[in-house]
Amino acid sequence: MKNLKYIIGITVLALIASCSSDNSEIDTQYPVIDITGSGSFPIQCSTIERGKTLTFKASFNDNAELGSYSLDIHHNFDHHTHSTEVTTCETEAVKTPVKPMLFINNYTIPNGVKSYEATAQISIPADVDPGDYHFMIRLTDKEGWQTLKGLSIKIL
Amino acid sequence: MKNSQSIFWKYCFLPVSLLISTEVVSQNQPSEKKPEIKELNEVLVNGNVIEKRKKEESLNVEVVNNTFIQRNLGGSLMQSLQRLPGVKTISIGSGGSKPLIRGLSFNQVIVVENGLKHEGQQWGADHGLEIDQYAVNRVEIIKGPSSFIFGSDAVGGAVNIKPLPLPSNNTFGGSVDLVGKSNNAQFGSSFNLFGRNQNWFFDTRVTTMDYGDYRVPTDKVHVYSYSVPLYKNHLRNTAGRELDLHLSTGYSGEHLKSVFYFSNVHTKSGFFANAHGLEPRNVDLDLHDKSSRDILMPYQEVNHFKVSNTTSFQVRNHAFETQIGFQKNFRRECSHYVNHGYMPAIYPENMYAPEDLERQYDKEVWSVSAKDEFAINDHQITIGTNVAAQENAIGGWSFLIPAFSQFNAGLFAYDKIELNEKWLVHGAIRYDFGRIKMKSYFDWFESPVLENNSAQMEYLQRSQDLTKSFDSFTWSAGVNYNPGNLSLKANLGSSFRMPIAKELASNGVNYHYFRFEKGNPNLDAERSYQLDFGMEWKQQNWSFQLTPFLNYFPNFIFLNPTSGHDMYYGAGNQVFEYEQSKVFRYGAELQMRYYFITSLSAEIVAEYLYSEQKSGSKKGYSLPFSPPPSVLFGLNYEPQIRFLKDTYFSVDYRITGKQDNIVPPEKKTEESHVFNLAFGTKVKKGKQDISLSVQVQNLFNTKYLNHTSFYRLIELPEAGRNIIVSMKIPFSVSP
Repeated sequence: MKNLKYIIGITVLALIASCSSDNSEIDTQYPVIDITGSGSFPIQCSTIERGKTLTFKASFNDNAELGSYSLDIHHNFDHHTHSTEVTTCETEAVKTPVKPMLFINNYTIPNGVKSYEATAQISIPADVDPGDYHFMIRLTDKEGWQTLKGLSIKIL
Repeated sequence: MKNSQSIFWKYCFLPVSLLISTEVVSQNQPSEKKPEIKELNEVLVNGNVIEKRKKEESLNVEVVNNTFIQRNLGGSLMQSLQRLPGVKTISIGSGGSKPLIRGLSFNQVIVVENGLKHEGQQWGADHGLEIDQYAVNRVEIIKGPSSFIFGSDAVGGAVNIKPLPLPSNNTFGGSVDLVGKSNNAQFGSSFNLFGRNQNWFFDTRVTTMDYGDYRVPTDKVHVYSYSVPLYKNHLRNTAGRELDLHLSTGYSGEHLKSVFYFSNVHTKSGFFANAHGLEPRNVDLDLHDKSSRDILMPYQEVNHFKVSNTTSFQVRNHAFETQIGFQKNFRRECSHYVNHGYMPAIYPENMYAPEDLERQYDKEVWSVSAKDEFAINDHQITIGTNVAAQENAIGGWSFLIPAFSQFNAGLFAYDKIELNEKWLVHGAIRYDFGRIKMKSYFDWFESPVLENNSAQMEYLQRSQDLTKSFDSFTWSAGVNYNPGNLSLKANLGSSFRMPIAKELASNGVNYHYFRFEKGNPNLDAERSYQLDFGMEWKQQNWSFQLTPFLNYFPNFIFLNPTSGHDMYYGAGNQVFEYEQSKVFRYGAELQMRYYFITSLSAEIVAEYLYSEQKSGSKKGYSLPFSPPPSVLFGLNYEPQIRFLKDTYFSVDYRITGKQDNIVPPEKKTEESHVFNLAFGTKVKKGKQDISLSVQVQNLFNTKYLNHTSFYRLIELPEAGRNIIVSMKIPFSVSP
């Protein structure tokens, strides 16, 4: 009899220990960056000419509420990184930067929206080094979940 | 659904606990049979000391000795201890780890070695504990708030590494430990030499470790969205080396004992090369995959030097103990220069730091403590004080935390009252004062700042001169009831922790997790209140231990992921900012052992932890690094074999539940099933026993993720099958 009680005790404990619940009240979903739309720019292997203005376009979605996003363009002359995309782009030979383009900016998203068509103008100075660059999109939702997209682009 | 776990807990677990406890009480009759005596006298004495220690401490405490460590040998001390319930680790590759006690780690758990609080860069997730596990004879793990003994930081618990026992009179001897591991091709040795005449003694040790990249059961991992191929299952650049030196020497007489401890622990270990910097990186595969033993960039090199003296003497019925210590932790993180924010693309000449020196931390700590233990009637009283001052310098081209100096002082009184043979009552109070002075820091490069619609180039200020003071009263009260086989304990205590420089003033990039971390100068000292229960029952053929707890923090310091990004230093990375929130936690550990026959026993070790933030930006979420529930089933066979001693064969099957209670940026972790095998024996050789132990960890080479691993966030699986062979050859020279 006494052994039975222990066995039940252990079994219940083991059950509790091995089961856990879905916490549906808290948000555990990442926001989504969608660059498959027809107007999306840049996409993997896009090119842009110096002295022109790049118009960034992408669709953002989240199950609860979007937070904000940042864009960052930095050189990849040393081939330091690959992208998040499946396709790879042709790269130039490794070279030393002289005046590489550098762009970092934050952008707000209106409060309370679940989907957002993001667009931003970025002017590419005429005197920057041409070559391989990375275009980073970082998107958060209100709770702080973040999704990254790293694209390989070329400045001509 | 959110509360289903807690409901489950309340309605299932607690009644079951009560059921068991009433059963324990009703069955409590002193056993007339004595435990089987098989072990050496030495071990038996040790066992009784452990038993006594647990019965006289109202906090929950686990005590293990070096035999346990040898049987469960992992890559570092905490990895060897993680079989204990409620004890987990945050592992950094195969050779480093930090303690995680009931889900708390970093500066919420303190490590004490030879009475001295170990001060490294414990705030960093990539920073392992600089302790040589071969130099450890006995460890006590206090699972609960122990600020009243150790001061600030011990809110979550303490790992107390006890001083080595002194050599016996007129002895001269030593031992050689050899270890080999298959997974990361590790070779290690530890050489010990000790001696003593009547009163003077010495004990020295040299430990070396050399290991290659560790292997995982997969050929491709996904670092965030980036896919990274692995060469021959090797986790690129996770090799390491270690060299540790120890000496303790002194005098032990009838009324005076004075011991000097010197130690120097040096480690160099690589970081997984594809995940360090501003974003997941491409690496030179030819260079990196040429050898699995070389340590290329990025890597860390840590040197921890300690010297201390502990002197104890008796004056009438007062036992005094004084301690003076100095330690220096010097840590370098080296990596190729990666310009981020508006740093120049090419590393400038004539910089104050070498190009590859990403970070450098240099910490020096002086500490003094004294205590007096005396008895008045049934009261066993301890009063004591400790004072510590530290100086922290920074170096390298990147910035995360400022240089700072810190001063702490505390005064405590502790009373243990023995009401009768069965009842012990404990009471403690403590006052602490602390001051931290942070130094200002400016970027070494200019960034464009928009003023009146035109961009000005400016050297941005990362940190300001800032002095913060904190003081705190903490207390603890507990009771032990030990009628025969049963022992019950309860403890209610408060604890506190002063915010650290990282929490108050960090302002830079965490290169391991690609995030921008920002301190908050307005943080209060963290407080914690905890109620602990403990119940243990030992009988000849079985034993049982249950240790539930409830814990509340009115202002837990939490690194909150915000929805913002940093457009300067952080190069567009997400901003994480320190905040305080109310946190409620509860959990329990269970241990049961049943002897079918003297030589065959089964064991169940289980643990459960739930934590929830009750206020703040992440209300309703858990805390980071929350260990999922787990159950370990163990089977142990210890046959008597002629010419051999202490032979054992054991199988452990650990089921770790899934962890769905997460907080950004964590990911849900699936459940895992892992088997470990171990066997070992001692061969009699003259007066000494050569001991041999073998372990096969992760027997089936299972691919699984550990929710509390440093590499979990970048989805690196745990090590694959690992065969560990270790041998200890003692020797003695007759005088």
